[in-house]
Amino acid sequence: MIARLHRLGRAFFGVLRRPMARAFDAAENPLNHLGAMTIFFLWIVLISGIWLLIFFRTSVSGAFESVEYLTREQWYLGGIMRSLHRYASDAAIITILLHIVKEFVFNRYRSNRWFTWVTGIPLVWMIFVLGITGYWLVWDELAQYVAITSAELMDSIPIFTDSMAGNFLSDDLLSNRFFTLMAFLHLIGLPIFLVFGIWLHVFRLNGPRINPARRLMAASLIAMLVLSALYPAISHEQAELAMTPQSLRLDWFYLHVYPLVQIWSPGWVWVFLVGISTVIVIAPWAPPQKKEQAALVTLDFCNGCERCVDDCPFGAVEMVPRTDGTNYTHQAGVDPDLCISCGICVGACPTATPFRSRGELLPGIDLPDRMASALREDIIAAGKQGESPHVIVFACRDDQQVQEIEKAGLSFVKVNCMGQLPPSYVDFTLSRGHADGVLLLGCLDGNCSYRYGAEWTEQRLARQRDPMLRRRVDMSRVAIGWQAPWSENSGVVQKYEAFLRSLQQ
Amino acid sequence: MKLVAEIFMYAVFAAVVGALSVWPSYELVDENHAIVSLVFSHAGERIGECRKFSQEELNKLPPNMRKPADCPRERHPVRIELRSGDRVLYEETLPPSGIWADGKASIYQRMMVSSGAHELFVGMNDSGEQSGFDYEKSVTLDLAPGRNLVIRFDAQTQGFLIR
Repeated sequence: MIARLHRLGRAFFGVLRRPMARAFDAAENPLNHLGAMTIFFLWIVLISGIWLLIFFRTSVSGAFESVEYLTREQWYLGGIMRSLHRYASDAAIITILLHIVKEFVFNRYRSNRWFTWVTGIPLVWMIFVLGITGYWLVWDELAQYVAITSAELMDSIPIFTDSMAGNFLSDDLLSNRFFTLMAFLHLIGLPIFLVFGIWLHVFRLNGPRINPARRLMAASLIAMLVLSALYPAISHEQAELAMTPQSLRLDWFYLHVYPLVQIWSPGWVWVFLVGISTVIVIAPWAPPQKKEQAALVTLDFCNGCERCVDDCPFGAVEMVPRTDGTNYTHQAGVDPDLCISCGICVGACPTATPFRSRGELLPGIDLPDRMASALREDIIAAGKQGESPHVIVFACRDDQQVQEIEKAGLSFVKVNCMGQLPPSYVDFTLSRGHADGVLLLGCLDGNCSYRYGAEWTEQRLARQRDPMLRRRVDMSRVAIGWQAPWSENSGVVQKYEAFLRSLQQ
Repeated sequence: MKLVAEIFMYAVFAAVVGALSVWPSYELVDENHAIVSLVFSHAGERIGECRKFSQEELNKLPPNMRKPADCPRERHPVRIELRSGDRVLYEETLPPSGIWADGKASIYQRMMVSSGAHELFVGMNDSGEQSGFDYEKSVTLDLAPGRNLVIRFDAQTQGFLIR
């Protein structure tokens, strides 16, 4: 069932990818930066919201009038800001939804990543409540509907004796205080919790990407500005509690559940919402999965260089005081509750070198389930058997391309993540004559299952990041074929053959 | 060409945002209909009479527990009926709230009725009697389309308010 959902979702992203790949480079493709795009849209919401706050009046009549003033009289700035506020918050719902689906279908929510997944759920709730309270503040007919329906939802929780919804049925029961309370919730209370929630959401990530590429930000802002100018957000008629509006222009991004309150009942809507949230919360453990062993530090070869700490995308490695009495002050320490066994720390370890001739190949940090020594053995096994030129393909285990590689019968070595491959292994493969060329196939930047595998690998091969590839390696014999993980046909065989031809020349 | 494709993608994104932000519109009330809302909380009568303590009984009680009468906490459920002419719009017996059934009974009901003239009758029984009403009110009014008529029970005047 879950595997089928994953396949369906991947097919959906495959469909989305084609037009997106034509329009954007990887670094600027919104599909590669969905979380960061959400934060960017929330920035727009915050800044435009500050402008609206300056003119907003927290009273029954003042609320509507002040928003109308911004929309009609100050259309050139206040009206644009209002529209921007609304459209950016709507856009954030699209990016959030895609972000959740993407992390789910590419299996980036299980194991020790549960914390990031689970802490995202209250964020979604908070953003919806923020949006709903925002509509409330306009105090037009839509606000009237939102207020009554929200209160009906609250009334169905059996903790209040008197009906809250009853307060929104006649004007004499509504006070200015109410708008002060809503304004506090929308402008201060919820945003503070939201900021804290975002911090918690990325808390376990090392170097979280909270800003998308500048060009992507600028283009998205322009798109929202153009939309605001061409199609400004306007209010309905002012709320009149003695009347019920017949037809409303609902914001379906935030209010899609509200019609269900009338169609079902408030109680069933709660069952629906809480049910969905519960299913999402327990998803990382459904079904339970065998946990891979965390990275292991061997003190005999750990000199406390800190490269593994810098490169670990999940903050699972930290430097701790030395325990073996040697002259080094610190050693690497792995937190098994944070480690997701990607092996990027092994790729960062300068002692993970296959050239070692004496003793066992045991680097300072290694994965018990996919050891550096086993990688070397796999390279030797996949090595030249007489044919020339011979290419060894290195591929990430999570990559869709692995199946294609196996089907095509290519010589290949599987790694947990491309970032697990120390550059010295590329040198070893070529200089020891195991292959004439090395083809690295992994996930495109922004789509690495372990966040930074592709980026660190590129930087190590380009000699910009430790440990660097030795200068003696002829780069014409090294090829990289990053691919978005949702690609159905990655053209791996074509890439292989093209690389083979370039080697023959 | 890539720039054109990029602009097109942003335009599609903005169009989706703009469209779903207001469209399709949602019909809340059928044409030529109005809403009648019955909204209030009311505590029914206590289920029994209070019994005065005798002096002898009071003397037996610790000083801090002494009170003039022993009253049962539980209250009767509240029976409500709302009619438009001969047509019953709402009829329900609401239990008192609280673990000890000593709280108010609450009602929040919104009913869609056709607009036009209505002879409305609302009655409430809170004394546990099987028939009849302790409080009632009749009114004839003309409901405009989209009108939201609210019926409450005012505890101070002990009567229904229809607005």
